[in-house]
Amino acid sequence: MVNTATTEQRHTVEVNLGPQHPSTHGVLRLLVELDGEIIVSCRPVIGYLHRGLEKMFEKRSYKQTIPFTDRMDYCASLNGNLAICQAIERLGGLQAPERAQYIRVLLCELNRIASHLVFLATYATDIGATTVFLYAFREREKCLDLMECMTGARLTYNYVRPGGIPQDLPDGFENGLNCFLDDLLKALEENDRLLTGNRIFRGRLEGVGVVSPEMAAAYGASGPVARGSGLNYDVRKTAPYEVYDRLEFDVPVYHTGDCMARYLVRIEEMRQSARIIRQCLKDMPAGEIMCKMPKIFKPPIGQAFSRTESPRGELSFYMVSDGTPNPARVHGRTPSFVHLGMLPAMLPGVKIADVIAILGSLDTVLGEVDR
Amino acid sequence: MNTIQDLFSGFMSFLRGMKITGANLGRDKTTVLYPYEKADVAPRYRGLFVLPFNEANGRLNCTGCTLCIQACPTNVITLTKLGAGKHGGIQDFQMDLGRCMFCNLCVEACPFEAIEMTTQFELASTDRNVCVFPLTSLAQGGAAAAEKNYNTISTALAAEAAEKAAKAAAAGESGGHGAAHAPKEGA
Amino acid sequence: MTSGILRSRRPIRAAEVGLGISITVAIIAIASAIPHLPWQLLKPLTSFVARYPLLNALANAAMVANFVALQCLGFIWLERKFAGWMQARVGPMHVGWKGLLQTVADAVKLLLKEDIVPTDADKPLFALAPYLVFVPSLLTFMVLPFTSAWVGYDLPLGALFVLSISTTSILGVFAAGWGSNNKYSLLGGVRAIAQLLSYDVPLILVMLSVVMLSGTMSLTGIVTQQEKLWNIAAHPLLMIPAFLIFLICTLAEVNRAPFDLPEAESELVSGFHTEYSGMRFAFFFLAEFANNFFSAGLAVTLFFGGWLGAGLPAAVWFTLKTLCVIFLMMWIRWTLPRLRIDQMMSFCWKVLVPASMALICAAAIAGVSH
Repeated sequence: MVNTATTEQRHTVEVNLGPQHPSTHGVLRLLVELDGEIIVSCRPVIGYLHRGLEKMFEKRSYKQTIPFTDRMDYCASLNGNLAICQAIERLGGLQAPERAQYIRVLLCELNRIASHLVFLATYATDIGATTVFLYAFREREKCLDLMECMTGARLTYNYVRPGGIPQDLPDGFENGLNCFLDDLLKALEENDRLLTGNRIFRGRLEGVGVVSPEMAAAYGASGPVARGSGLNYDVRKTAPYEVYDRLEFDVPVYHTGDCMARYLVRIEEMRQSARIIRQCLKDMPAGEIMCKMPKIFKPPIGQAFSRTESPRGELSFYMVSDGTPNPARVHGRTPSFVHLGMLPAMLPGVKIADVIAILGSLDTVLGEVDR
Repeated sequence: MNTIQDLFSGFMSFLRGMKITGANLGRDKTTVLYPYEKADVAPRYRGLFVLPFNEANGRLNCTGCTLCIQACPTNVITLTKLGAGKHGGIQDFQMDLGRCMFCNLCVEACPFEAIEMTTQFELASTDRNVCVFPLTSLAQGGAAAAEKNYNTISTALAAEAAEKAAKAAAAGESGGHGAAHAPKEGA
Repeated sequence: MTSGILRSRRPIRAAEVGLGISITVAIIAIASAIPHLPWQLLKPLTSFVARYPLLNALANAAMVANFVALQCLGFIWLERKFAGWMQARVGPMHVGWKGLLQTVADAVKLLLKEDIVPTDADKPLFALAPYLVFVPSLLTFMVLPFTSAWVGYDLPLGALFVLSISTTSILGVFAAGWGSNNKYSLLGGVRAIAQLLSYDVPLILVMLSVVMLSGTMSLTGIVTQQEKLWNIAAHPLLMIPAFLIFLICTLAEVNRAPFDLPEAESELVSGFHTEYSGMRFAFFFLAEFANNFFSAGLAVTLFFGGWLGAGLPAAVWFTLKTLCVIFLMMWIRWTLPRLRIDQMMSFCWKVLVPASMALICAAAIAGVSH
């Protein structure tokens, strides 16, 4: 395993993993220098999906920016909606009604489950267990059906608005949601036996791609990557937004820092999300879902910053208003981008098969990296 | 001894996994054989647009107020107004769905419920021009509805103009100029 | 549980449940009918062919090749259906009844596809590689005894022949990896050599232990030895571990999960056959499935008494047993994740080789005490 790197001339091969490769999860190009099967160096090349979203935000009104956040982290687009809407609300001094906040949290957690199921599916496929892919997608399909009933779309929800949400829960939603959660917990339990306990799977993941807590903190890692390294850091707990401070849930933290820890954090988070959703359903008050909004929304001059916990980590938006209907500047702090920066430090010395395991365990979404 | 124990537990974990995959052989399948069977779509699903036709009034709800154009983040909509004021409407309404994100903002912006989304989702095509939907295919009821809408509004506008002219004529001698102007507006 | 808002799932229909049974019945029926066909009508032809040794050999070769191609068609369909069902899908459905002709359609598509050779490829090697892989797997069928009469050529050294011939396919795999001028292919080729060579060692040792117990290297001889009791039942303590090692090694030999490292999709795109398309790709595919069938057949021959069995015709017994082993291999393939190269190698050299050595010793002792 140890790479005996010396100054003498090595015969290395440069391989482009991506941008067209079955397991780069998007258009990421990893310029990998190989010594046999062992990685000598790695350089992630990004930008293939760059759309200039931040500039596009500046040219559009506040409300019009929301659908573009769907296109950032497309696995959990509701979290993007929520993050930017929180920034807008802070700029304009708006406050969503309580029912809307509960529904937002409920949907975000549902979206987190969907996103983690995609992670589970693609990660298992990366490791070679193709069947788990379809089992995870079977559950995700139900999740997307629910989201479709609620928001009208299956992936790009565009559902949160500054000051509330546009539509209330549809009829029969609660019943469907409960059924889904029951199915999910059963499927997770089955997955524990099928994949988590599998000797080969454990062998592939344990001790691979270790991130120390110091390294995680130094790189600004958040979300499951930080929590897999033993950092107890979750924006939902450290800086609660919406109604998270009223809900009871645990933040899973694992201390080994390897791929297995990150995997286990995500699996456990799905269970916790299910817990949160059930509490939301129980506690949700009746009432308005949208606060009073002016016809043309012009927040006062100022700036605002929002922090949310997306399935990938801490997703933040910084927004500056100059008093016009369009934001003067928007910047998104996306967790995938930060985590991708850790790759060059994590990869040297591992085998080429581990590249896929490590990359998959970071669970990056390239739409979020390139923006 | 440790190795043998490890081997055995590994072997048992494989068997546990195989039990699950084996059990799935007999479970319900999730496949929907798409072109032959179609899954039901949620009523809220955001698909192809429709401009509802109001049978009672014999016209489309749209007044051509352009609020949807202002709400749209991607400049999907272009429209040609027909008349103004009380009988204002549209002569043409075009949506380039090649640009559309189906974000629902135009529907929310409309104060007259004049634009809505249907659950029609099969919109893929190999030609960008096919993505441009004119009023004749967007209006509820197709080209006939668009035609009726045009007729209703132009007759209403003509009637309004005639009424105005009559009023002007009744009021005094200075009305001639206004009456000559009104039909031009309606055209 | 039902809920209004979630879509209903596709229930398994009675026809689909009956599908597997009816296919098995059909195979049995066809196989049982074969001996009763009016073969004597072909007598003039066969006697004419038999007069010329070269013609005879050609005819036999053509029959084996056709059989391999045909069984591949059925086998690929079965694998797809099986994988689909296991994964909560329905598998191929559109071409033919329940997708039965899907493989035929795919074969036609592959035939019609453009034959692409990468610009800087080593052209002779690139062109030759698929056949270097396919021919050995075809050759091995020559000695596989379907029944006591249905053997292409009953070599007295059948087991040795099988081992030596099947090992040569490594050459083709590496030729493909090297000739494609693609780094993924090269890595796949290198992995293939390491894997196939290492897993050949325990495979040979396990086969040797069976040979030692049977006292013959002829595959038909090994089967007839099991007339009273199948090997796996005659020496269960010895043969069950032997069968497991054999199964693991054959999985590695035919590049199936968890040992599909040479063509690991998520790492090496498609490994050594990344650059292949059209008919050349089809040959790799064909070779893989032919190898698979052969390995299962060999397992049946060595451990489960080959064609022996009561009631049904011998060929049917052989096919049924082989299908069972194939299903086992598919089941494993669609359950387990992939090993990493160092884990795979250490598993082979640290576990399988010592275990098979111990087996050989045990077989020697058992053979002496008989």
